[in-house]
Amino acid sequence: MKNKRIAFFGLLAGLLLLGVPVFAHHGGSEYDFKNPITLKGTVTEMVWSNPHCQIFLDVTDDKGKVVNWAIETFAPAVLKRAGWTHETLHAGELVTVTLAPSKKGNPVGMIRKIVLADGTELSGGHLGELPPQ
Amino acid sequence: MRNRIVSLMVALAAMIAFSSFTSAQANQQTGAAKADTKALPFDVHDLTGIWDTAAYLQPKGEVNPLALNHQPTPLPPFTPFGEAKYNANVKFIDAGAVLDCDPFGTARNFFTPRPFEIISSRDRLLQHFEYYDNWREIWTDGRKMPEDLEPDYMGYSTGKWEGNTFVIDSANYNGKQFLTWTGLPLSESMHQTERWQRVDRDTLKIVFTFDDAKMYAKPWAITYFYKLKSNWVLDAHPCVLSEIKEYDEKLNHADNLPGRDYKPGK
Repeated sequence: MKNKRIAFFGLLAGLLLLGVPVFAHHGGSEYDFKNPITLKGTVTEMVWSNPHCQIFLDVTDDKGKVVNWAIETFAPAVLKRAGWTHETLHAGELVTVTLAPSKKGNPVGMIRKIVLADGTELSGGHLGELPPQ
Repeated sequence: MRNRIVSLMVALAAMIAFSSFTSAQANQQTGAAKADTKALPFDVHDLTGIWDTAAYLQPKGEVNPLALNHQPTPLPPFTPFGEAKYNANVKFIDAGAVLDCDPFGTARNFFTPRPFEIISSRDRLLQHFEYYDNWREIWTDGRKMPEDLEPDYMGYSTGKWEGNTFVIDSANYNGKQFLTWTGLPLSESMHQTERWQRVDRDTLKIVFTFDDAKMYAKPWAITYFYKLKSNWVLDAHPCVLSEIKEYDEKLNHADNLPGRDYKPGK
């Protein structure tokens, strides 16, 4: 678990410091990659398609209001290389997602990692090769 | 104590910021723990296989073809026309409309951080780019560039070996694409030269030279690297308009972005 955390922070720091662009067709500059947030919620839908997959998540906020978040991922091909399949997520499952939120304050974000109900942790994948350790 | 552990992890992460992300999932995908294959024997004239972009190896000071979101990068020597075109392209990209289904052309495919496969046949090398499922033919049978071709997104390419370097000439582009995701322009005048070298078993180095007198005041070059992915297969990534439309409707519109509801003026 500790190694996974280190790897995650390493990935995040690497992306930020190296300036590797995040290929969000949404527009990478619209996400706040420097201030990721973590949300726990219930999957309402997983769209497994190009150009990028989308996860929709019901999250209950501090006031008890349920907000449906739209969470962008990379393309299916990239997710597969990070260990995902089209069967990884189903509606009704409880998950914890770390994401870069929209700078506009809308309930929209770009995934960084996910922890599934059984504790399995998956990264959001990466584009191209990262430097060797 | 917990905060100290987190701080330690963040500090460590900064130290290893130039390190790769290896996870159990990644190992699962490649099928085995990573072995040091760099020193294994290889044939410098065999370029077949799947190659993934290694942007981090590009020499500093060159034009960065992936410098999105206004990251600082040198710019190539534009002509006034080329600079105006570039500025218009950046405006278009900033509007969030960088995605369409047009074939990428060769350069933009090379600088897209997704793998491609090289397949050798009797008279050609074939390049299959995963992103958008684009194909390129590089003729190796000694033919000259035909003079009566219809301009095309992917251009027309011929290649030959000069010692251990595979040299490609390509032209006949239709000028309808960007050269890079950053909006660098190209025109029908583009003559692109590539010098491919397999510098070790796992590393392919390519020097691209772009000669397009309409857009650039003089030829300019960049050096890009690719890593062999022996255990990978390419995945399907076709460009499907209905899927883009769904993506726009469900995600971009949720963030008050326009998506691609308008026709861009390239």
